[in-house]
Amino acid sequence: MLRTTLAGLRAHKLRLLLTAVAITLGVGFISGTFVLTDTMDKGVAKTFAKSADKVDFAVLPKSDDPDEGAPAKLLQKVRALPGVTDVHGVVKGDAALVGKDGKGVGDSPTVGMSVASGRLLRYDVDKGRPPSGGGETVLDTKVAKREGYTVGDTVSVLGEKHRVHKFKVVGLVDFGIDQEASFRGAVGFDSATAMLMTGQKTYRELDIAGGNEAAVKAAAGAGYDVYTGEELGARLAKAAGADTKIIQTGLLIFGLVAMLVSALVIYNTFSILIAQRMREMALLRCVGATRRQVFGGVLAESAVVGLVGSLLGLVAGVGLGEGALVAVSRFNAGVAVAGPSLAVRTIVLGLAVGIVVTVLSALLPARAATRVAPVAALRADLEPGSGRFRLGWLRTAIAVLLGAAGLGLGVLGSLVMGKGQNAMFTVAFAGGVFFLAVIAAMPALVRPLGRLAGAVPARLGGVPARLAVANAQRAPRRTATTTIALTVGVGLVSLFAVVAASGKATASSELEEQFPVQFQVRAQDYDGSVPQALTEALRKRPEVTDVVESHRKDTKVGDDDQGEIYTITRSALGKILKPEIKQGTLAAALKPGTAMVDDDTVARSGPGLGETVQVETAHGTVPVKITAVYKAGASLDGIIIPESDFTRYFGAQDPVDIYVKTRDGLPSSQARKAVDEAARPYPAAKVVSSAEFEETLTKAIDMMLMIFGGLLGLAIIIALFGIANTLTLSVVERTRESALLRALGLTKRQLRRMLSVEALVMAVIGAFTGVVLGIGFGWAATNAMASDSVFALPYLQVIGFVVLAGAAGMVAAVMPARRAARTSIVESLAHD
Amino acid sequence: MTSTFTGPPGGFPAAAVPPAVTAQGVSKVYGSGDAAVHALRGVSVGFARGAFTAIMGPSGSGKSTLMHCLAGLDTVTSGRIVLGDAEITGMGDRQLTMLRRDRVGFVFQAFNLLPTLTAEQNILLPMELSGRKPDRAWFGQVVDVLGLRDRLKHRPSELSGGQQQRVACARAIVARPEVIFADEPTGNLDSRAGAEVLGFLRSSVREMGQTIVMVTHDPVAASYADRVVFLRDGETVSEIVQPTPDAVLDRLKSLGA
Repeated sequence: MLRTTLAGLRAHKLRLLLTAVAITLGVGFISGTFVLTDTMDKGVAKTFAKSADKVDFAVLPKSDDPDEGAPAKLLQKVRALPGVTDVHGVVKGDAALVGKDGKGVGDSPTVGMSVASGRLLRYDVDKGRPPSGGGETVLDTKVAKREGYTVGDTVSVLGEKHRVHKFKVVGLVDFGIDQEASFRGAVGFDSATAMLMTGQKTYRELDIAGGNEAAVKAAAGAGYDVYTGEELGARLAKAAGADTKIIQTGLLIFGLVAMLVSALVIYNTFSILIAQRMREMALLRCVGATRRQVFGGVLAESAVVGLVGSLLGLVAGVGLGEGALVAVSRFNAGVAVAGPSLAVRTIVLGLAVGIVVTVLSALLPARAATRVAPVAALRADLEPGSGRFRLGWLRTAIAVLLGAAGLGLGVLGSLVMGKGQNAMFTVAFAGGVFFLAVIAAMPALVRPLGRLAGAVPARLGGVPARLAVANAQRAPRRTATTTIALTVGVGLVSLFAVVAASGKATASSELEEQFPVQFQVRAQDYDGSVPQALTEALRKRPEVTDVVESHRKDTKVGDDDQGEIYTITRSALGKILKPEIKQGTLAAALKPGTAMVDDDTVARSGPGLGETVQVETAHGTVPVKITAVYKAGASLDGIIIPESDFTRYFGAQDPVDIYVKTRDGLPSSQARKAVDEAARPYPAAKVVSSAEFEETLTKAIDMMLMIFGGLLGLAIIIALFGIANTLTLSVVERTRESALLRALGLTKRQLRRMLSVEALVMAVIGAFTGVVLGIGFGWAATNAMASDSVFALPYLQVIGFVVLAGAAGMVAAVMPARRAARTSIVESLAHD
Repeated sequence: MTSTFTGPPGGFPAAAVPPAVTAQGVSKVYGSGDAAVHALRGVSVGFARGAFTAIMGPSGSGKSTLMHCLAGLDTVTSGRIVLGDAEITGMGDRQLTMLRRDRVGFVFQAFNLLPTLTAEQNILLPMELSGRKPDRAWFGQVVDVLGLRDRLKHRPSELSGGQQQRVACARAIVARPEVIFADEPTGNLDSRAGAEVLGFLRSSVREMGQTIVMVTHDPVAASYADRVVFLRDGETVSEIVQPTPDAVLDRLKSLGA
């Protein structure tokens, strides 16, 4: 039996390959993910091993708190140990490099780091030498290149209290192995200067050359961990590897979607193959094959297909991983590029997933094969596809039940439940359930949807198009499975598109309603503040009509040691910043001794309306009564007390944010210039225009959408292969029918067009279903996200998806159509 | 099938009218070298306009190949085929397709109809493909003669074999082609249904001057024709005018079939 199966496969190499393509792509993606992340891990591990190699022992404080690092005393103690030749205290904090425009570089301040000289230098010095003494610094190579600095330049770095210090650049260093530094950019000093500049009082780590472990451990004591260089390298690599893990998990989820689509394609292909080989199966049964043998034969065939597909997939995976690596290393130069690493696990997992998915997908078709009666071998040809499909009661029941459950959960999640994560999970689950209902009901939907999708082509395309539309509806089960594979990808993409568009709409409506200012001036670092003097300077500018300050004080609120109290310029409240009051009144919350709080904080079991909280102030603890609850918005959150109270409680404080409203009708470039000029003396003060902010946000969301779209693209490509597959097999099935049409006067071009339109109809059915599902659940997800989210339908994108899917479907039809047109009429008409 | 046609193109053909389709020294070779198969070896034969001609011969005699070549379904290796005023040897695929669509009708042994279309749609398909407007009166007459009036909305799967073949005949005749080629049109039918179809084909020739070329191996079917041409090993060997089943059978026996 096995020999028969293998002979059959050898005879139909093209069919084998076509079936295997779906598996190849899915397995390729999954193994590519592993190759990519393994290679990245290897590169990371190699880099860290190299850098940690230079350290014999490292002492790390057990506490993560930067204030509880290793004190200078400990460093001296360790240095005095016998055998220790050198000790370097690692310092890390904020030290903002000032760019040539006089502003701090980047969105957050650069990292100020200590750089050892001599043996303990862990970073690669690209140019120059390590710094020594108070007047020297080294710059991160990438930052220096971006900002146009090089060795010999004098640069400004902001120290404590944002005071400007001048340094001479003596070297360019690759801080790549330090993630924080590579993300934010870094400036390096010797340890003492680093402490001065960052304001750190202790060391994050002591790197030691020489000495022995026991002595170091004894000197360090209980509050510290001591690692050998090797252990340190492994530890650092592991921490960096966490990133790779996230990438891996993310990619694997998309890989699973691709495999799901592959499974649908394989299932369909095998179903059609079995239906077409009814005679072959019956003949096998005639000559004495048992049901079990027929079943086994089909499964063996699927296993071979799975194996071939998976092997090709592994090859593709190495290529994909390699390609992605090139892209990744372009963004992140810190990762050393190692050769692609194909782990045994990758091979085993890739093959296993590929074969198991294929065999599982072939189970049902194999069972159908066993039901072929031997006498079928002797019957005249069976007509392919009657075009009718009736949902059995079981299928109807399942579809109705799942559909109702999906809708119910969707309504629950989007309308009834409280907004937030749980509601979103409910909606996601509802989407999954409803999709199952669609799968169950799809064969019955093919005819109406086919009529819909085919309406335009049937009217415009003449006879061939009308025949094509009829053909697409001919085998509803087959068309259903073919199209549902496309529905998965298109559905997810349009879901993301809707959520992204809604996110953008929500953000811009929030900005418009609650943030009606043109500019925000904020400190580069989160804890920092903007000098009060800047507010005064801005108020003096004729271009500026309003300046609003926001103050924050970290203090004990109730039982919370890390509480925060906010205030907003009195005159702006209700005029420029208009919080939406949900309980109480704004006026009540402006009286002394009161406060208003946002609803999110209340929901997180914060103080509610009418309650009193104890706030620790400079003059002891005072009671503050909550007299209003407002809706959390773009620029307001937390406990807000009246401005006069704030000053009384905490004394004069620099604002954390300044909002600037410029004169109406002033061109934005002039407005920008005015604000920039006022902020020029303060390098740490960043000016952000709300238009820029919105643009940044939009860009970030678009980027996300593009990445998701790209990753889901694979699932869509697999589904298109499914369409090509189904079409190819249908062409084989209808060889004589096509020949008859050709004999009756259908031109080759009309025949090709007929198949293109059939593919178009199938693709549009799938894409349309996907888009409807995507919009529906995108709406539900948007609703579930937050109470103030705005639903937006990206019309053009959604229409674009359907049009693109249709066009792609027609491309998928090119090969089968050419094949059909090439077939000789006479041979095809010959009676078999 | 005793009803007769009235009206459109009628009258018996005059003897001087040139043949509807002729083959001149037609050869057809499949494969090459040692594997070459000579399906036709210099066949020259004419098929009179307004006549019903049968092509007969033992299996492998080349009768189907000859018909395929005459109808423009297959190309010839050498020789000429002229259909009406057009030489079809040398035509490209597109021209051949147009020729088949506009000037030729077909009735095959089996699988004559498109399963997705109703009987009426099947009958009108060739005209729709060529974008011609069907003559409704003529359509009605053909449908009535063939007894298909109440079957028009049915799909092929809902029709008997005889009904399907009558639909195929209607499709061939409604477009008023110059020649109808029938390839074993009764091969899959029982004798009664076969007789109906053959009777219809003959009356379309007698009463409205249709030209029909039919390939068959059934002497009874051949006896419906005005003339039978015999082929053996790719060559025309003899012919009978006004055949009877017995005369045809005798001739076949003498050919060694």
